Amino acid sequence: MVLEATMICIDNSEWMRNGDYSPSRFQAQADAVSLICGAKTQSNPENTVGILTMAGKGVRVLATPTSDLGKILSCMHGLEMGGETNLAAGILIAQLALKHRQNKNQQQRIIVFAGSPIKHERKALEIIGKKLKKNSVALDIVNFGEEEDGKPEKLEALLGSVNNNDTSHMVHVPPGQNALSDVLISTPVFTGDGEGGSGFAAAAAAAAAAGGVSDFDFGVDPNIDPELALALRVSMEEERARQEAAAKKAAEEAQPQSESQNATSTATEKVSDPMDEDDLLKQAVALSMNIPGSDSSAGDAQMSEATNDDQELALALQMSMQDGSKDSSAPSDVSKVLGDQSFMSSILSSLPGVDPNDPNVKDLLASLLGQSEPQEKKDEDEQPKDDK
Amino acid sequence: MACTHDHSCEDHDCSSNWSLYKHIDLSKVTALNEANPGSVKSVFKAWEERLNSSGEHLESNEGDPELLVYIPFTSDVKIKSISVVGGADGTSPSKLRVFINRDGIDFSDAQSMQPVQEWDLVENLQGVLEYQTRYSKFQSVANITLHFPESFGGDTTQIHYIGFKGEATQLKRDVATIVYEITPNPSDHKTRAETGGGLSHVE
Repeated sequence: MVLEATMICIDNSEWMRNGDYSPSRFQAQADAVSLICGAKTQSNPENTVGILTMAGKGVRVLATPTSDLGKILSCMHGLEMGGETNLAAGILIAQLALKHRQNKNQQQRIIVFAGSPIKHERKALEIIGKKLKKNSVALDIVNFGEEEDGKPEKLEALLGSVNNNDTSHMVHVPPGQNALSDVLISTPVFTGDGEGGSGFAAAAAAAAAAGGVSDFDFGVDPNIDPELALALRVSMEEERARQEAAAKKAAEEAQPQSESQNATSTATEKVSDPMDEDDLLKQAVALSMNIPGSDSSAGDAQMSEATNDDQELALALQMSMQDGSKDSSAPSDVSKVLGDQSFMSSILSSLPGVDPNDPNVKDLLASLLGQSEPQEKKDEDEQPKDDK
Repeated sequence: MACTHDHSCEDHDCSSNWSLYKHIDLSKVTALNEANPGSVKSVFKAWEERLNSSGEHLESNEGDPELLVYIPFTSDVKIKSISVVGGADGTSPSKLRVFINRDGIDFSDAQSMQPVQEWDLVENLQGVLEYQTRYSKFQSVANITLHFPESFGGDTTQIHYIGFKGEATQLKRDVATIVYEITPNPSDHKTRAETGGGLSHVE
């Protein structure tokens, strides 16, 4: 919540036509600028932001520091690219604009977008930096776009001469998948030395997540749609537990202990990789069809009876082929699933509102086990008789 | 114009004179070109502690001895004289230029503007020198800006103490709340004399 007046220096030179940032360098820069303006004005209502362009016919101030966000965004329209950037003149004129700010209590800050090659010497930049430091102006540099041989060193020298107690920062954004604004959101340029802009940054990150590139589980922000996020998460955990249980039965039955621990741990761990929404939906539908009548499956998946039976039958056939002699009808299959204590407890723990340690739940489990055991005993009695 | 004490300085006598530091609004004191942000607040202390250099002091950045100190007061003051204790080895300031009741001055302004008064300073490590002001110009000072353009040859400028001698008025430059009435209603202006009969008066 620092009270700040900011001047943003935009690079609108010919180098900004390049498309290595999508859709073009200039457009990516414009998006970043509007996000910064929003973040600054939101973190403190008395903050002011101004804009100037460094290339074109010469350095031109588009907006003097103002808190009117609409005016700032409107002056970004219709900007033309051309000419060469004059970094030194841009910074000095930004400092002059800040000097004549209306509220002298505001801290002064300049944000520079350095996208084209720098034609100034390192010495000249250091002198400018010292002048800024002397007048207690902070400087943020966004290094993107054109990568030239001496550019990072020159910018480092400039930052070093300006920096006073870490109020100035430099961010390097290489071209690639992520948009310029997405990379900037997590940097001190936005968050303002670690406090203040974090609320806006979180909201902007959520907006970015909805757009596809997701930092949240399952591509859905729990803040925006908690029910959908919960349903997806529960179905994911159940599917994983189910797969673990099936794999366990297919493998050795002699090692229930380690694998059950595996099942519970995978059931509780969160998915850290971003999941494609289509895959998730498919999994959710498959899962809801596998467990008939389960309340926790994704509510918006429609189940068909025919495919339901087919899934069960296929699994049952698979099990009968492994075991050979056991009865392979669906009810005993389900009872085996129910009979697996560890699997049941992992399912129950993933259900909201059910505590596996609750005595009622334990009684229910025991009764289910009691039903399945006599059935198994009957099967085993039948087998020896059949063999004979 | 400097004058020296011609008597052995009894601390309590002198210190009561140099008590304007109590009327400084310390939270709003700022300095430009200081090496450690916030160190400027350490130079305003009691007269007895003016030679105490163990704590923080104000120092300018390396290689640049210029300093600009902005001091707002909590109420208007009249300043009779100013005392400055600098550092050793040529780091004392050699000149002082002051500006009154202007805020937001930076170095380019300070260098181009005509100061209210300026002095050539002498190294004052014992803190016994004071510089008198043209009192008529310093009658109602809400804030004062001290500009130290150069030092005695040192790489930086150090200041350990700045003191002001004078008196504080009770006048504040605050927003005034004024109530306007179209027709006065006596019941709104009850005074101590309301129990008796007769006229009440608005205070």
